[in-house]
Amino acid sequence: MSRGGPGQGQQGTSNGSPSLLSLGRRFLAATPALPGEVELYLERSRTTSIKVYARQVESLVTGAPSGVGVRYVLDGRQGYAYTADLGDEAFRRTLDRAVANAEATDPDPHVALPQPPRSYPDVPGLWRPGVGSTPMERKIALAMEAEAVALAAEEIETVEESAYADGESQVALVSSLGVEVEGEQTVCYCYLSAHARRGEDVQTALGYTTGREPEDLEAEVAGAEAALKARRLLGAAPCASGSYTVVLDREVAAAVLGIIARALSAEAVQKGRSLFVGKEGKLVAATQLCLVDNGVHPEGMDSSAFDDEGVPRGQTDLIRDGVLAGYLYDTYTANRAGGGRGSTGNAARGSYRSAPGVSSSNLVLEAGECSLEELFARVGKGLYVLSVTGLHSGANPVSGEFSVGAVGHLIENGALGAPVREITIASDLLSMLRNVTDRAGDQRWIPFHGSVLTPAIAIGGIAVSGT
Amino acid sequence: MTAGWGLDPDLLDRALERVLRRGGDFAEVFVEGKSSLSLRLEEARVESVSSGEDRGASIRLVRGDRTSFGYTDSLAEEDLLRLAEELSAGSGDGPGSLRKLEARRGVSFVVVHTEPSDVETTAKAAVLRQVDEAARAVSGEVRQVACGYSESRQRVQIANSEGTLAEDDRTRVVLSLTVVAQRDGVIQTGYETLAQHGGYELIENADLGAFAQKAANKAITMLGARPAPTGRMPVVLANGFGGVLFHEACGHGLEADFIVKRTSIWQGRQGERVAEPFVTAYDDGATPGMWGSAAFDDEGTPSERTPVVEHGILTSYLTDILRGRRLGQRLTGNGRRQSFRHLPYPRMTNTYFAPGKITAEALIESTPRAFYAKSLSGGQVDPATGDFVFGVSEGYLIEDGKIGPAVKGATLIGNGAEVLSAIDAIADDLDVKAGMCGKEGQSVPVGTGQPTLRLRELTVGGTSV
Repeated sequence: MSRGGPGQGQQGTSNGSPSLLSLGRRFLAATPALPGEVELYLERSRTTSIKVYARQVESLVTGAPSGVGVRYVLDGRQGYAYTADLGDEAFRRTLDRAVANAEATDPDPHVALPQPPRSYPDVPGLWRPGVGSTPMERKIALAMEAEAVALAAEEIETVEESAYADGESQVALVSSLGVEVEGEQTVCYCYLSAHARRGEDVQTALGYTTGREPEDLEAEVAGAEAALKARRLLGAAPCASGSYTVVLDREVAAAVLGIIARALSAEAVQKGRSLFVGKEGKLVAATQLCLVDNGVHPEGMDSSAFDDEGVPRGQTDLIRDGVLAGYLYDTYTANRAGGGRGSTGNAARGSYRSAPGVSSSNLVLEAGECSLEELFARVGKGLYVLSVTGLHSGANPVSGEFSVGAVGHLIENGALGAPVREITIASDLLSMLRNVTDRAGDQRWIPFHGSVLTPAIAIGGIAVSGT
Repeated sequence: MTAGWGLDPDLLDRALERVLRRGGDFAEVFVEGKSSLSLRLEEARVESVSSGEDRGASIRLVRGDRTSFGYTDSLAEEDLLRLAEELSAGSGDGPGSLRKLEARRGVSFVVVHTEPSDVETTAKAAVLRQVDEAARAVSGEVRQVACGYSESRQRVQIANSEGTLAEDDRTRVVLSLTVVAQRDGVIQTGYETLAQHGGYELIENADLGAFAQKAANKAITMLGARPAPTGRMPVVLANGFGGVLFHEACGHGLEADFIVKRTSIWQGRQGERVAEPFVTAYDDGATPGMWGSAAFDDEGTPSERTPVVEHGILTSYLTDILRGRRLGQRLTGNGRRQSFRHLPYPRMTNTYFAPGKITAEALIESTPRAFYAKSLSGGQVDPATGDFVFGVSEGYLIEDGKIGPAVKGATLIGNGAEVLSAIDAIADDLDVKAGMCGKEGQSVPVGTGQPTLRLRELTVGGTSV
């Protein structure tokens, strides 16, 4: 979960319960004197998830999860414990466990909690009232609208699932070193999966839209997107094996960038789990590529003023004109790198259930200038990839191996051609970065694989296995 | 086994009555308490130890086609009844029917010899260090070892408006190991896992040295691998990890939610021949010790061994209460969920092909030329089309009936229906591995297994064009 700006002006916790920050302060004040340092990460959220099928509400799920994670550090040993129970007794038990868990670890002098910063950046607009104030009927209607638009398209047989979901979350961090920060943010989205049928041939495609409150969502656009993509794939068949110039659609480019960002975490590099070990300052990509991790982008779904250990977020150049400009750090990896390096504000955790590790925030790949159609024209002959499968097993951020199933279209005579399925595309990640030949100007925020803003990109020399 | 845990049945009854009072066809209360511990070693250092506690309850109300579901992180009476009240809101057409709760006896087949929480955390840390040393001792080419241990104890209590009152107590222990080896700038990884639904005796009785060597040898063998070939060819899938094939390519499409929505390739094909007569496959949640086993599923339906393909005929889908009713099919004990915060869905438990009669050696000897997938690293499938992709983490070529050179970077790509009918030989060496399966944003423990088997032909996607 990511969050909004620190405290001020955002106290509107609509449920009227005491703020998480004050609860954290109370827990910390009640902590007995300990030889080590303590950090509390508190989280409280409210979520709604609606699924619509065959023009009816299929399921409506609401919940209000909350919890606290306790990190204890003594002499380079770190213990962690969490509980979903925000009561005083459960907290004390959890603190005791964190202290005991630290004793079972092996020490590392770089393990430490961060010092409180001088200030946090101002990231406006992360919390909006609409998620809380919009009636349930309106949220249901959004999922219905997306489904209706898709079903109205020719050859769309069914929409397997049309969903609306939102969340309103608060996070607070307090530590015995003096970190004290809280933030709040909202997020909502609609997505749907449309099935097109022509005879025995069935093709599926996704449409989606995201925002900070329901009025940001373009449900009809998402419905039309899913229908168009699914219909265009009807009649898909394997293409001939060979070496292709491949245009990765934005969703696929985002997935590849997500894997590259994993390999750019200092944690992966320091532990030898990255294909970018020893490559800082070296040319690793085509000179037209610029990739930035931007944790404070106002439009980014993973933006916030502070990271998951209370360090201010910022912007970090990862690849600048093809050169590997730097890695992503949290407090531990920055201490370990030495040389006065500081955290880049990239500590992240899935929830209060886990201790922080290093992760990207919003990845931004600089756009080109042409439209997608012009990009096809410039490529001339190749393959346009709309989606890939098997990414978690087929793309390896350590060895760089990349081999995944793909669905898309041929690019013939500089235009979108016949649909293609049941093929694999294979290369290695470093070659792919170097062989980027072109980019479109069609940047879009992709909410999958983290949060990524990317255009479609063209890459040469990809092995395609088909017939 | 669960005596003294959970909520008073009288309270569960009142919550069910409350949620049904403005109407409804089915209501359920799911209560959960879970404690867990995990340790992780990397760079020869136990770097993290984490423990946690979760507890809470959810209520589900089904009315016509609509399911309303809410959860609370509290087990307090007032919170549960307030949740029931909130969910019951709607146009009233009289209260839904409610049967008297009757306790279902849990098949307490899981014998925990050593309660994991009785073992000192420092002893578990020592196990990780021992595995680390054993893996590093295999070769100087081993550069990195990451080893994780985790244990969990999940207690659940399920009560529904049809009178079911079930309790289950699930202890799971898993040890996993990733070894990274390096030679001349080439990096390869080897992975092994040891897991069971049971107690710490899994670790006490394990040959940790052999476990470490297996993962290390995998990584080192792959260092010398050449690029995988590309094209259509016979494929032999090794036992154990190869079972991901059935799970991904066939199993997901048998889950009844896809059948109800007619988005599965298997929809309407019950009773049809889908494989050679010697092919039988099970979903088995009832074998003690298997990773995906439990006394009941997460709706209180007793677990069972369901033949899904019997002698080549498609015999059964995998149901939960909602979809089983809708299809008019019996309940197979596959209504599963990640936690009280999640809706149940039809999910596999442990899936595997029944063993054949020949040895794996004989099967390979009778294969002149094939791609041999020893370990699959995972896969993905589109249930609507049956198209799947698997990553091969350890692969070889079979030449003249012998296992030849190692090859890397291969994926297997195909279609679930085609691949099932393409099985032309099954050996006798059944092995079931542990994994986590994701669906609907939920992750549940599953076993995937098979004996060594051969496919007449499949597309291998490699880098060598």
